[in-house]
Amino acid sequence: MQFEVIAKCHTTRARVSRMKLSHGVTMLPTFMPVATQAAIKGLTPQQVESLGVTLMLNNTYHMNLRPGIKVLDDAGGAHRFQGWTRNLLTDSGGFQLVSLSKFTKITEEGALFASPFTGEPTMLTPEESISIQHSIGADIIMQLDDVVSSLTTGPRVGEAMERSVRWLDRCIDYHERSGKKDRHNLFAIVQGGLDHDLRDICLDEMIKRKDRVAGYAIGGLSGGEEKDTFWRIMKQCADKLPEDRPRYSMGIGFAEDLLVCVALGVDMADCVFPTRTARFGVALTFSGPLNLKLAKHAKDLAPIDTQCPCPTCSDGVSRALLHHIITQETAGAHAVTQHNITFQARLMGQARDAIINGTFPDYLRSFFVAYFGDVGYPEWAVNALRSVGVDLLDGISKDVNVVPGDGGKWEYSDRS
Amino acid sequence: MADVSTTHPGFSTLSFHLSCPASASPFGPRLGRASLKRNNDSPAVEIDTPGFLTTTSRGVIPHLSRDHHRFTEAIRWVLIPFETFLERLPPVPTLQGGSTPLHKFFGYSPLQNIVIMSARDPFDGRELPPNGNDHISSYSMRGVTPSAWRSYVFACRPDIVIALSDTPFTKPPHSQKRLTKSLERSTSWLSNLLRPIELDDDSNSNPHPLNIFVHMVGGTDLAARRIFSEGLLETLRDNEAEAIKPLKRLDDGVTGYVFDLVPLRLSLVAEIDSANISSPDILDTTTVPTAAQMSVDTSALIPLMKASLNSLPTQKIRLVNSAISPHEILRLVRDVGIDVFDAHWAQRAADIGVALDFRFPIVDTGPNNQTHRTKKDLGHNLYDQVYAHDFKRLADCFMDGASSLGQDSPCNRPVCPCAACSPLPPCQHISHSSIDSESYPESVHAPRQFLPPFRRAYLHHLLHTHEMSSHSLLAMHNLSVLDAFLSGVRTVLAHPNGTAVFTTEVDKFVEEYDEEMKVFEDARKSWTEVERARGKGRLAREKDKQAESTLGTAVEL
Ligand SMILES: [Zn+2]
Ligand SMILES: [Zn+2]
Repeated sequence: MQFEVIAKCHTTRARVSRMKLSHGVTMLPTFMPVATQAAIKGLTPQQVESLGVTLMLNNTYHMNLRPGIKVLDDAGGAHRFQGWTRNLLTDSGGFQLVSLSKFTKITEEGALFASPFTGEPTMLTPEESISIQHSIGADIIMQLDDVVSSLTTGPRVGEAMERSVRWLDRCIDYHERSGKKDRHNLFAIVQGGLDHDLRDICLDEMIKRKDRVAGYAIGGLSGGEEKDTFWRIMKQCADKLPEDRPRYSMGIGFAEDLLVCVALGVDMADCVFPTRTARFGVALTFSGPLNLKLAKHAKDLAPIDTQCPCPTCSDGVSRALLHHIITQETAGAHAVTQHNITFQARLMGQARDAIINGTFPDYLRSFFVAYFGDVGYPEWAVNALRSVGVDLLDGISKDVNVVPGDGGKWEYSDRS
Repeated sequence: MADVSTTHPGFSTLSFHLSCPASASPFGPRLGRASLKRNNDSPAVEIDTPGFLTTTSRGVIPHLSRDHHRFTEAIRWVLIPFETFLERLPPVPTLQGGSTPLHKFFGYSPLQNIVIMSARDPFDGRELPPNGNDHISSYSMRGVTPSAWRSYVFACRPDIVIALSDTPFTKPPHSQKRLTKSLERSTSWLSNLLRPIELDDDSNSNPHPLNIFVHMVGGTDLAARRIFSEGLLETLRDNEAEAIKPLKRLDDGVTGYVFDLVPLRLSLVAEIDSANISSPDILDTTTVPTAAQMSVDTSALIPLMKASLNSLPTQKIRLVNSAISPHEILRLVRDVGIDVFDAHWAQRAADIGVALDFRFPIVDTGPNNQTHRTKKDLGHNLYDQVYAHDFKRLADCFMDGASSLGQDSPCNRPVCPCAACSPLPPCQHISHSSIDSESYPESVHAPRQFLPPFRRAYLHHLLHTHEMSSHSLLAMHNLSVLDAFLSGVRTVLAHPNGTAVFTTEVDKFVEEYDEEMKVFEDARKSWTEVERARGKGRLAREKDKQAESTLGTAVEL
């Protein structure tokens, strides 16, 4: 990997970087759409690429179940298997083991789980996880970590953090011995729950291993914790992580979360949210999510967003047509999925431009006005951005409420 | 809504030329070209026949985003059943406006696609309340009246409209009295659509601007079918003549004839039923083709179709909806001279995981790998475990774009141009920031090279993991295979001795390929199993609602 920071925001910790991997250059900060099982819902890889996406994600847990390592090896890796010619990232599989299977038991050796096919007890070790990720052949691979829910408290959190450090060492050793270090770049995952002291210990330990890892992920967040806690942990990690390594916040996808993370110094994020919500009829826009199932869209011949360059909007697909087909026809899901992936890419692309042009604080302010001006700013976001020198309320002439709590923005169904 | 010829420029004109009537018989196979000239400077849309029309569900081609249906050149004729838009009045496509409102609303290209508007989905044979004298039932909440239909048609300006007809979807068999009524109503509803529009004084526009196709009604009664056709040719008098002036006969305003095979088959099955032979549940039309439909041989349909066409002019387009197999298509080309078929069966094959793999005329593609069957399958049930490690392209009968380029010696296999067999890299990447070009060092002007095809193993994986991309790729592939099939039909018919060669080739095709379509049956079983294993997590109610409104084409979102 070649990683180079090419511009920094003069106020916040945001930065623009160039990350060169085996399958080309990806400009950061970026959002990575999730192709869990080697496909992004209903689209072909060529369609995804045409949207300006240069890095996407496959899930190791799922890929290992289907199609399985044998097929991936025969196909010559996941890139060839799914026809994706750009960069690919895989997770370690650990998160899904814990979230999808109640019977998973963590031991020092690895994660013990019941095979979903045979019911046989099966062990996923750090070495095994890396080996599977090598077969998948992703450009960025993740260490196996000991995942606990962000709502877990007590000694288990510290234990998981410490084990994640030990597992990192095993992943590094296995990875280096495999001789595949030049093609696959291993990222460490910072754990430690919502405890600042544990996070600090983890950061120290993992930063010690900097020369043997290509980048850092910030894990164990976005699992239902309060937003106020979320941003403080994110900031603590992003502040401390080394300047010359990419920083990846896992499982982040809401527009406001993404921009706050970028302002805190995060370079990459992934989430199933934009593609999942598309299937349920929600189109993302700069004035907030749009629920296309609502009757108010039934006669609206305007596209989702006239400014949007996605195939759906630029072709003039009307909200009325989308309303008629969404949740009924797969083609409706495809149209909104194309739009939502493009929305995420625009959000991050405009952040890159703003950082380069020295206007990132303005970009943040104008985004929040357009997105939250009507319902009020989430207090946590206001506080998070104040911590990096941007006051969202500065220069706002009209009255905008600041809303406590975890404030999101949704158009709820009117039953239509 | 008033007729508004003055506020809209003229409608487009559809003409049809039989370039090479291969036989003297009015029912022999024929080659033709449909030409749609729009009322502007754009070149006419020209489509050769025999050809096929792509069906839509809620107005869109199942599984295809707009970029995908543009890429799929096989898509030429498009049929839009209007009934789902009756759920909310006024129907939203009527609000679109412009010179080609349906093309605009649904994203079809005015240069590429001829859009046909029909009230009902021709494949939908579900039982319905009886139609009235002035009202046709549809599966949506409301039906439609002939006058409302007329106003929707003038607002939507389809390239072709299928006149309302009174086809009973009450439980067959239908009485003689019911048939008589069906004929009267269908005739009167056609006449309503043929009412001349009001023109400006100095206008030399056509007072009958619509291109109208009419259903051949009369059910399974040969006499009734003949009477209906003769009625179309009768010179009208008095009020009836006044209603359609300056036309003299209804047929003068008709551009094409339509046969919907679903209601015909349902009636034929009911007749067998009433003769006390047990038959499968005839109202289950949510699977294709239904066992009941399969039990009605093409040969039972042919006399009925001939009875309708016998007295009618031969130079008009003949359209058949819901043919169940390529075998049936070939027989209807050979024995009835049908010009256009819908692609319903091939499109549904994509829903159930079948990649079509056949050609006409037949070619030798090596040994049949389904040794347990005596005939070749029409395609591959990609759910089958045998494809888990199969890295071949989708079809043996076709090349893929990438490997066709590496060929030294010319290959007799054509390239399947679909986005699954011959994918191309995107012609552009949306740029989201000033530095995005660093990700794309290659010149945008470099010629695009075909990418490797999507493999069976990948499609197998997508089907088992319930990824919608499988259906998108299969839909494009299947339409392209059907296109090549009909193009093969045209090539054979263009032979100097076309009819004879065609007849021989049809026999060979029937000999080569399994007409029982076992592979579809297997695929449907696999599909059901995967759906069932998967369905647990989802609200059954949501799923039923989707299945109901999309006539079983539903693929879980
Ligand atoms: Zn868009
Ligand atoms: Zn193909």
